[in-house]
Amino acid sequence: MTTSTADNITEFSFETKYETNRRSPSLWILSHANHQWPWILMALIGAISNAALASVVPIYIGRAFNEILTPSPSLALIGRFALIIGLSQTLRGILQFGRNFGFEIIAQNIEKYVRQELYVNLLGKSMTFHNLQSVGDLMARATNDVREVNYMFSPGFNLVIGSLNFLFIPLIVGPSFHISLIATPAAFIILYVFALWHYLSILNPITTEVRQNFGKMNSRLSEAIDGVEVVKGSAQEEAEIQRFRSNAVDYRDASIEQGKVESRFLPMLLLGITMAVGLAHALFLLRQGLINIGDVIAYFGTLSLLGFPTFVSIFAYSQISLGFASADRILDLIKTENKLDQNTEGYAQPIKGAIKFENVFFSYDDQEHILENINLEIFPGQTVAIVGQTGSGKTSLVKLINRTFDVNEGRILVDGIDVRDWYLESLRNQISTIEQDVFLFSRSIADNIAFGKQDATREEVIEAAKEAQAHEFIKSFDNGYETVIGERGMTLSGGQRQRLALARAFLTSPHILILDDSTSAIDSETEDRIQKAIFRAAEGRTTLIITHRLSQIRWANLIVVMRKGKIAAVGTHEELMEKSKSYRQIFRE
Amino acid sequence: MGFFSGLAAEKYDRQYSDKRLLNRIFDYFKKQSNSLIVIGIALIVRSIIEAFNPVIVARGLDQVTQQEISLEFIFILSGIILGLGILSWFANLIYRRFSAKIIAVIIQQLATDAFKASVRQDMSFHDSFQSGKIVSRITSDTREFGQLITLSTDVLMQLISSIILAVILVQTEWRLALAIFILVPLLFLLVMRYRHVARKITREGMRAMANVNATIKETVSGIAIAKNFRQEDKIYDEFEDANQTSFEVNIKRGFALSIVFPVLRTIGGIATALLVYFGAMTVTEGFVTAGAWYLFLSTLDRFLFPVMSLSSFWTNVQTGLSAAERIFALIDAKHSVEQIDSIFPRNLQGQIDMQSVDFSYTPDEPVLEDFSLHIEPGETLALVGHTGAGKTSIGRLIARFYEFQDGEILIDGKDIRRFDLVALRRQMGIVSQVPFLFSGTVEENIQYGCPVCNRPELIRIANQIGDGEWLETLPNGLNTEVGERGSQLSMGQRQLVALMRVLIQRPSIFILDEATASIDPFTEKQIQTALELILSDTTSILIAHRLSTVKSSDRILVMRQGEIIEEGNHSALMAQGEHYAELYNTYFRHQSLEYVEEAKKYVRK
Repeated sequence: MTTSTADNITEFSFETKYETNRRSPSLWILSHANHQWPWILMALIGAISNAALASVVPIYIGRAFNEILTPSPSLALIGRFALIIGLSQTLRGILQFGRNFGFEIIAQNIEKYVRQELYVNLLGKSMTFHNLQSVGDLMARATNDVREVNYMFSPGFNLVIGSLNFLFIPLIVGPSFHISLIATPAAFIILYVFALWHYLSILNPITTEVRQNFGKMNSRLSEAIDGVEVVKGSAQEEAEIQRFRSNAVDYRDASIEQGKVESRFLPMLLLGITMAVGLAHALFLLRQGLINIGDVIAYFGTLSLLGFPTFVSIFAYSQISLGFASADRILDLIKTENKLDQNTEGYAQPIKGAIKFENVFFSYDDQEHILENINLEIFPGQTVAIVGQTGSGKTSLVKLINRTFDVNEGRILVDGIDVRDWYLESLRNQISTIEQDVFLFSRSIADNIAFGKQDATREEVIEAAKEAQAHEFIKSFDNGYETVIGERGMTLSGGQRQRLALARAFLTSPHILILDDSTSAIDSETEDRIQKAIFRAAEGRTTLIITHRLSQIRWANLIVVMRKGKIAAVGTHEELMEKSKSYRQIFRE
Repeated sequence: MGFFSGLAAEKYDRQYSDKRLLNRIFDYFKKQSNSLIVIGIALIVRSIIEAFNPVIVARGLDQVTQQEISLEFIFILSGIILGLGILSWFANLIYRRFSAKIIAVIIQQLATDAFKASVRQDMSFHDSFQSGKIVSRITSDTREFGQLITLSTDVLMQLISSIILAVILVQTEWRLALAIFILVPLLFLLVMRYRHVARKITREGMRAMANVNATIKETVSGIAIAKNFRQEDKIYDEFEDANQTSFEVNIKRGFALSIVFPVLRTIGGIATALLVYFGAMTVTEGFVTAGAWYLFLSTLDRFLFPVMSLSSFWTNVQTGLSAAERIFALIDAKHSVEQIDSIFPRNLQGQIDMQSVDFSYTPDEPVLEDFSLHIEPGETLALVGHTGAGKTSIGRLIARFYEFQDGEILIDGKDIRRFDLVALRRQMGIVSQVPFLFSGTVEENIQYGCPVCNRPELIRIANQIGDGEWLETLPNGLNTEVGERGSQLSMGQRQLVALMRVLIQRPSIFILDEATASIDPFTEKQIQTALELILSDTTSILIAHRLSTVKSSDRILVMRQGEIIEEGNHSALMAQGEHYAELYNTYFRHQSLEYVEEAKKYVRK
């Protein structure tokens, strides 16, 4: 594994087994598939010979039939035919297994490598990307969509390729009896393609509608059941029942419509006609003495092999199209570009902790300004409380400092150096961020605390936990520091998670600490502990706290009141009590 | 989720006798009897054609071998085949169209009935049963039952046509027919055995996959934090392990799934070979005609493949029927809250009396015993106490969400059981601890309890709260989409919307289970204003968690284990220095301004 250099836009990269072509979903799938060539070869051989050997049965039944019609049929000869049929079908079974299992291996391999590629790519993406992207969405890509790509190969391609071969058998076997016998199967193939295309083109919009109606019904349903107390409290039961019924009726009607389209499955009619026409044709040739009865039987038998592709196709094709849609989504995600670069040549010195915002403007996707004309100066070691309502821009403000996002206008200086001129790794290593939702891994508490400093000793971990006021509650668990988070219903409260995150920060000892604090303490004792932990964490470093806690606000060196993306007021507690009306209000009983 | 969680049994599940279950199912089909007859006819027509098609070809062959073929014969024979092909397609069309219709209609009716039953159920029911599982009964189980219909008709069709064929074969040559029939039970055993093994592998695979998926999910959600601490290598290794395990499990499963059809194929092939030889023998001995021999050969497959669907049929029937059982259990579950009259309350005064009330959620854990309480019209009452003291239960009983076991609850002097429940609740404003919003706009959510309330009124009230500033902070004001369950709004905004919902409703009785979530101080102030607006002219029961709420009440009840241990207002109770003072120290001290002023000193200690 290597760390990339400045010419690469990704923050990190790992070596994957091979490079892929990301220009289009099909090329991309192909570039994954071609590494599976030995298996593909095996599967293709299986598929083709399976179909070829399938034709042995009608052909030799035809021959046996001819033999039996001779005045003195030779049972020995018929026995030989029977042996050929038996052996060929056993061989066919083996080859069919080769086809099935071959496609299965291809599918599983591709799932593995696609997921690996996606994951490596995600690891390489910037924090900007990860902060904007919903985790649920990423997980859906890494699990469901990747699995769909798997299904595209098995059963998707397996059945399509497996059955397509059967389309060609009558085309090859027919002319061997008489050249004109190619006509019926050829006509079938052409009409079949049109009929199928027509069928799928009217089916697709309807299945989409069915899915959408189901989704609509289902999401309102779960909301109504989850919020049943509100439904009852507002006496809206009957209205909800009406709403559900109308959603259910929409879903019902769409399903009926789908049933109608599916019932008119033309390829099946086509098959019936083909069989009749083919039989007539063969009998006609027989009447003219151009072929014999055995040929008629063999021909008729091979025509019935067309049934396999006729009935399997719908399912298999929709599986493949689902796979392509998923591949498209995965590729989209992979191709989403990163805006930040590492800047490895940049400034890299220990941070003293001075932060300055100069005329900063910021927006996501160049839409409405999230932050407007921010000017703010923070001195080393200060504790700054950032307050404001939801959507006022508090979180965006702090995320600009470690370059989770980059400003649109203006600049931000850390120790007098524009953050964009810092070596990114050096900058981020020295700035620790504790988010609102603290993410913990399903590992031991000790591992979680030591996450940022893998070589920390147990003593160091305990020391950090003590500083963060977490030691006591950790000790209260049966397994103490070895307690695995998430195991056997082990859950932690928001305040406990936050203190574990603080312990992490004590261990890495960052020069700038950014804390998004929105936990609430139920009781005063817990509140005391949280207060203590945060005050301790803020000592000796520049600390920015987004907080709801009046005591944090009260005792901060500097308070920034945000309102609709602007700084509404800034100053010490005393200054703000003097000059800001809304600030005064929150400190009034 | 869905399928497997749906299988779990719940307490309200009941055992239906087969007869009763079939009767319940039959009720739904009864209304569809016309369509059912059409389906039946189409199904029989198709089965007959399926059975006769090879017979006709075989008979035709006999003709061909015995005499000169005339043009007429060719046209008749292929004409019949053509006609049967078209008729079969048409019968299939009718069958599919009508069965799709019946299934859709029945699913819709079942789902609507199940939803109706669950939304009318009282809160004790919803407390005990996870909403996800109820939802899965309403959607997944009904769909599963629908699949049973498709499956049964498909199997029925195969069965009818196989039986017709079997009769014809026996009549043609019983010895050859018998030879074929012996194959069927053998194959059946083989397939059953395979299914057993496959199920085991699949179950193991599923379990392994669940673990792998969990790890993959965790490693994906952990990316951001790993990057923050520069731990990409470590998390990647973890991911790689999970990915590799997933691969290995899937390959094993793939092997089991890949092998079944080839094996059946091979057996079919060998059987055909044997039939070719021994059939030829019977032809040369003169037992059967060559055409009949051909008939046996061409129909062999039709006995092999129904074995596959038959072997899984019984399990599928069981799955489908237990899905039906689960749906009916939901529909039939008993209600515990029952009204005995339907008095329509007009302008309640809001006087509430609880007299010697006994209440428990489960029989052996009493929550309230011999509990009495009088609340004056317009009074604001705060309930405080540790978790489990019974505060929330009082609110829930007055909202009539739960049934109490003994005593009386009177509203304006009338038994609460004698009111029309919907009308009574219209006069109540209830806000639960976690405010719940439905996807839709802020306006739709505010109007939820009062669909006739108009926008100007709504804006007027909204502006009474902090000059309407809270509306300005929403990206699109009243038209802001709140997202699923209100997820696009902050907790504070959700609470404001929930309070607005109550404000426009102008209830006579207000029940608030106060949230404990932390909210920014500005929004907090606005919530307080909204609350004061409601409290001023409504009988209010507040399960209080905030100091400001407690202080604004007329009377504070201190509760412990279902009993009132102290009552009075804030300053009087503080002066007493007993239970309330102690609770204050535990829950409210840190919310006071004195604490804020002293925080720094206090923490230094």
